[in-house]
Amino acid sequence: MNDDDDDTNDEWYGEADPRVPDAASVDRIFGDRDLGFLEDDVYLGEEAMIPHELGGSHVPSRGERESAELRELERRMEQHRTPVFPIDLRRRLPLEAVWRRWRALAMWGRSDVVDDFGRDPRATARWEWLFEFLYSKWFRVQASGLEHIPSRGRALLVANHAGSLPYDSAMVMHAVRRDHPSRRDVRPLVEDTVFHLPFLGPIMNRIGGVRADPENAERLLMKDELVAVFPEGEKGMGKLWKDRYRLQRFGRGGFVKLALRTGAPIIPVAVVGAEEAAPMLGKITWFAKNIGIPWIPVTPTFPWLGPAGLLPLPSKWYVQFGAPIDLGKAHGAAAAEDRLLVNRLADQIRTQIQTMIEGLLGKRRSPVFPAFLG
Amino acid sequence: MPPSATTTPAGTGRVVAVTGACTFLGGELLRRLEEDPKYSRVLALDIRPPALAPGGKVEYVKIDLTQPTVDGELATLLERHQVDTFVHGAFLSHPTHAADWAHELEDVGTMHVLNACAGVAPRRLVMISTSLVYGAHPKNPNFLTEDAELKGHRDSRFVNDKVRAERQVQRFAKEHANVEVCILRFAPILGPTVSNMYTRFFSRPIAPVMMGHDPLMQFVHEQDAAYALVRAVDSRATGAFNIVGKGVLPYTTVLALLGRVPVPMPQFVARQLSKVLWATQLVGSPPSFLDFLLYLCVADGARARRELGFAPRLSIKRTILDFLGVAPEDGATDAAIAQA
Repeated sequence: MNDDDDDTNDEWYGEADPRVPDAASVDRIFGDRDLGFLEDDVYLGEEAMIPHELGGSHVPSRGERESAELRELERRMEQHRTPVFPIDLRRRLPLEAVWRRWRALAMWGRSDVVDDFGRDPRATARWEWLFEFLYSKWFRVQASGLEHIPSRGRALLVANHAGSLPYDSAMVMHAVRRDHPSRRDVRPLVEDTVFHLPFLGPIMNRIGGVRADPENAERLLMKDELVAVFPEGEKGMGKLWKDRYRLQRFGRGGFVKLALRTGAPIIPVAVVGAEEAAPMLGKITWFAKNIGIPWIPVTPTFPWLGPAGLLPLPSKWYVQFGAPIDLGKAHGAAAAEDRLLVNRLADQIRTQIQTMIEGLLGKRRSPVFPAFLG
Repeated sequence: MPPSATTTPAGTGRVVAVTGACTFLGGELLRRLEEDPKYSRVLALDIRPPALAPGGKVEYVKIDLTQPTVDGELATLLERHQVDTFVHGAFLSHPTHAADWAHELEDVGTMHVLNACAGVAPRRLVMISTSLVYGAHPKNPNFLTEDAELKGHRDSRFVNDKVRAERQVQRFAKEHANVEVCILRFAPILGPTVSNMYTRFFSRPIAPVMMGHDPLMQFVHEQDAAYALVRAVDSRATGAFNIVGKGVLPYTTVLALLGRVPVPMPQFVARQLSKVLWATQLVGSPPSFLDFLLYLCVADGARARRELGFAPRLSIKRTILDFLGVAPEDGATDAAIAQA
């Protein structure tokens, strides 16, 4: 389709309602056929009437627009006369009034637009009260160092990990959303074992969790998001009580490569309190694999109290955000291929977080102490 | 890239051959090529004449890709009509119980097409594939790029035949540098007129949900898909391209928008039930399809936007509502917002 130079933008905007096909052109094509169906449900809207444009703000000429419109009308007209298979069956189910009610009901608590990674704003708002309760009443989180988080642009939060369920990632997320001046959304990367857990996985995905995968993380950082990683991963969650606050191996240094490749600054995060919230005394592995989880945790409350035992104990929490470390500036993107360097950097950051944790532990008087004073 | 960028010898016009002319995409392509003065002749190849009444430019030739010597026939045809662009779209849009025939058509049929193209090289070969070839796997990233491995599916012949066909075409592209090979991997196509596995699945009033799982889904509107195919025939881009719609939605939200009643069931129940329903031919989706309700299979359309110049117009919500035949003003969500 060629652009007609004579056609101006004014013509396109000048019409009363560009969405409604011009009556004269419809008459010319369809004569006196019944076009009643056009009014209710074949209207696709402005978007559909505009021919495809590749690469920018092209305003379709009258010729382009008409031929696209008419082609669409003609096609649907034909379809209406000779349906390939009964379309009405699929469109209108029996008891239409009931069906409409059902649709309205089914959409409750979810929005019809989610972001590329599945975060649903309405579902997030729905769970907000729970996080607020856990944050301010249950764990009485004290967050510090929030000023280190940039108010815009990419950054990689690297935190320690503990507890049988990822309460720590929820609290890091909530701390930034609640207390940071620009209320940024943190996208935590979630390990496979948690991400594919029935019920919990989809909920985590709807409120902003993303499956831990290098491609996903890179894509998020390239979109200038704030990404939280827990490099200890499953090993961190599976720590026993006797190993509390002793950081495990930081994966294979994937997060360092990520920071080098995307140029995102690393913000070390120390979380204290998660270990006491779900102290793992032991773990059962012999049956767990059959139900699709790596182990069944044994805590003072689980499995003795049934599902209620999965609720965390009300320990006192501290979250500290450290000063950003700009690896990209110091070493350059090509350093991501240098395995020795990557491993050394990963271990440096691990040591730094360990030091931050020990500082917080020294400051804390007791894991439960403030609870008694309210 | 404007369409005029393609090189057309003055006066002659291009000749296009289309296998699978009776498929949805094939029909749409014929319709659009007929309007375009750049093309002087279109050969519609299928086992029955396409629904579109041939209006001079389109010529129907009966070709059955399951016949053992069809490659020779095709080569003669390419030679005689000086075919410039070959569009290979003879693929099934829903799974069939006649798995052997499907294999002959899709896998072996592609071999015949490639044999013919190796003998009489057209300038351009466009293959229609699907994003299902990536398969739904727990380790899939949120957006699969064209470089991702084509894992197919453990036990779905419907998907695996397409994977095999695509591998053949990729090998052909490597061996025949003189032919521009372009592969289009379409996300599931929805719309008011198209019929495929997904439209059948969503036409039922109830739909199974794997209890506790809710993967993101992606569709492309039929008009966007048809346009992408025309772009691919028009342009000179080579390689594989994901053709996807705008946006993703969780499976249960798709069902809610459609007003379908979700029936949550544990995996093992769903699998057994699906086996029974498939074996008795009561449903059109095989048991292996359940994996697509468990795990992600979402492709990234950035490359098509960059190199093919294709960007989808319709969002996933509009695509779903158009499939239902509901005007946007009448969306269920608007009612939901009003109530909230």
